[in-house]
Amino acid sequence: MFVLNLIHRPELVAEYIDTVSQEGQSEELSKDSVVTESLEIFKLQQEIAHRHNLRTTIQMTYASLYHDDSVALAKAHHGKYGDEIAHTFLGLNCKEFRETYQRRDPAIWLYSMADKKRIVVDSFERFHECFGFYPTSTGSYFMDAELVNFIKQKYPMVKIAVATCFEEGPKVFRHANYSWYTIMDGSPWTAWIPSRKNIHAIAESEEDDIGIVAVPHLSRDLLAIMDNSGDMWGTHPQNIIRGLNYEDDRLPYMYNIVDHYRVLKKYNNGYSYNLVYVGPGWMGKSGRWEAPYRILRKSYEDFIAYYGELKKQEEVVDMTMTEFADWYRREQPRSGPHVGLWKDIAFGTKNQAFWYADSQFRVQIDLKLGGAITDLRPYASKLERPVGAGTAANQDASYPFIVQSRYRAGPFVHYAGEGAIKSCKVRYEGEEIDLSSCRTLGRARREDPYTTLEVKPVTLEFRNLTIKLATTYSFAANTGEIVITRRVVESSNPEARVEVDEFMTSCWGTTEYPEDMSGCLLSIVGKDGRRKEQVYEYLCRTESQPNVSAVEAALPMVQTRVSLTPLGEAVCSGYYEEGYSFAPNLKIGIHTNVGLNEELKTCLKVEQAK
Amino acid sequence: MSQGRTGKINYRCPKCLDREVDYDLLFDREENQFYCRRCNWEGNELEILTRYAHYKSQYRDMLKRWTVEDILAKDEDNWE
Repeated sequence: MFVLNLIHRPELVAEYIDTVSQEGQSEELSKDSVVTESLEIFKLQQEIAHRHNLRTTIQMTYASLYHDDSVALAKAHHGKYGDEIAHTFLGLNCKEFRETYQRRDPAIWLYSMADKKRIVVDSFERFHECFGFYPTSTGSYFMDAELVNFIKQKYPMVKIAVATCFEEGPKVFRHANYSWYTIMDGSPWTAWIPSRKNIHAIAESEEDDIGIVAVPHLSRDLLAIMDNSGDMWGTHPQNIIRGLNYEDDRLPYMYNIVDHYRVLKKYNNGYSYNLVYVGPGWMGKSGRWEAPYRILRKSYEDFIAYYGELKKQEEVVDMTMTEFADWYRREQPRSGPHVGLWKDIAFGTKNQAFWYADSQFRVQIDLKLGGAITDLRPYASKLERPVGAGTAANQDASYPFIVQSRYRAGPFVHYAGEGAIKSCKVRYEGEEIDLSSCRTLGRARREDPYTTLEVKPVTLEFRNLTIKLATTYSFAANTGEIVITRRVVESSNPEARVEVDEFMTSCWGTTEYPEDMSGCLLSIVGKDGRRKEQVYEYLCRTESQPNVSAVEAALPMVQTRVSLTPLGEAVCSGYYEEGYSFAPNLKIGIHTNVGLNEELKTCLKVEQAK
Repeated sequence: MSQGRTGKINYRCPKCLDREVDYDLLFDREENQFYCRRCNWEGNELEILTRYAHYKSQYRDMLKRWTVEDILAKDEDNWE
């Protein structure tokens, strides 16, 4: 089943729409012209949806709860079309809010916990006054776990929330000239049930279940967002226009991304999900940047018409958010997994990205890099990381990574050291080839509880030897384990043996800038059980030994332990490398010699380490 | 010299766009010229559109329709 949540909001003080203020005139919130235009856009969006027989979720903003016409409109559309009347924390930046709170922060997650509680109660009670019931769905660009836990305690009827913007982090922050504070990388890309401890992390048990279904603000391109700002790559036609991926009124990409999400049913037992949520500010009469109103409007009309057409063909089911929450609770496992193999539909390349998320981690594998892990978020740690005023993290709402190959160099560095990546090197007669230099493709299959990514074999050419190496990744759902197999499937010299080095270069953080690694712990565990350990102090120390049973690294700042364990009969050596300030990573690895039709099989395990 | 204003069309700086920073240009009426307050780019509308065209050239599939069937079939052959 392919599910659509289509959300509209009467914002009244729409982001972007007040272009006059941007030109230097004094700000005048709630002026009639802006309110009227914003409401007209909302009505237009609703009319387009209903014209195509699609039901919507109407998220009432703070200002709209003080606006009789908006309340009446929501009631009318609920009665006539079956739209859900819901709540949102977007649109706080309005006259009524400022008068009550004397605050200008538009982002609920960035308030102090005391203010968050006050705003929740205030707006939910106001909602009740308007409609006679409490909302069962809400949302914002980000809803931290502490906020959601409070909402569930106070208003247990809430079932679902727009809880993050998928991969809005440093890239989006930069794209908006370092002034758009949605710094929140690290969530799943599709609907999930969050942990009580951290909204990004998927719940691992009933006790850990936060009590709502979380959905991402927009469904985004899983390949393009790896190196591009996500706010140009989603189920949002005007975002696509922002990225200039269009010519006049021709935007085939907006259909392509929907169809790619339909393809993801293949990896998720027949289910996939889209969320469409275009704020009224993106359809203003004065246009948005270069794009005139004509194109902004037509793109939305065409986009919604496509979903309407899919509905006629019974290819999509439109649900309100609360209906979806009920369906999700009935039909989907609490802890995932969620799986996506994404193929390039924009740049004209063969590039592919594989994504996997369950209660223990979110993993990104870049097939262009030989099938290397290029982003790893250790959900196993269920890291408690409150955000907002008065917290250590404040605006940085991302879930930390322990591998991020674009923020932290990956396979290519200038001058010294190695970047963060989980990859493999193969050596023969003094030559070394990193698989991340081998472009390849992948095939994914799901046979619960296992998900397998088969990487197309790559050719490695040494001076005196050519081999083909095949890689598979096998994920056992919610174990925190990935079994990685590297097998020599062809060789120009059947007698030759190559050294296969399975390694991981790791660090922690949420942004491009290095964080303190002091106190990380590196370990080698011998087959005899003896353990060599080193506390990280940037001293470039290394250690290796033959016949190991595991190599490990603990990163206490993210309460995570990661290990590599050789599987099978192979006798393997292991090592760790401490790193130094110019290369502030740690490295662990396992290696052994492999001949034709032999393999190195290792288990990468991510677990909580308090 | 009077203040810069938003032009009739609110263009973004094409040089900043290339590094994925959205930054509105201002228009200088006396010089009949757009300019960026962040970087050192300045130019006329034709120069903006030329740079935009170059930016768009990264999207080799900009006008291509990828259907479900196309995506499923893409790069699935020639594995053996």
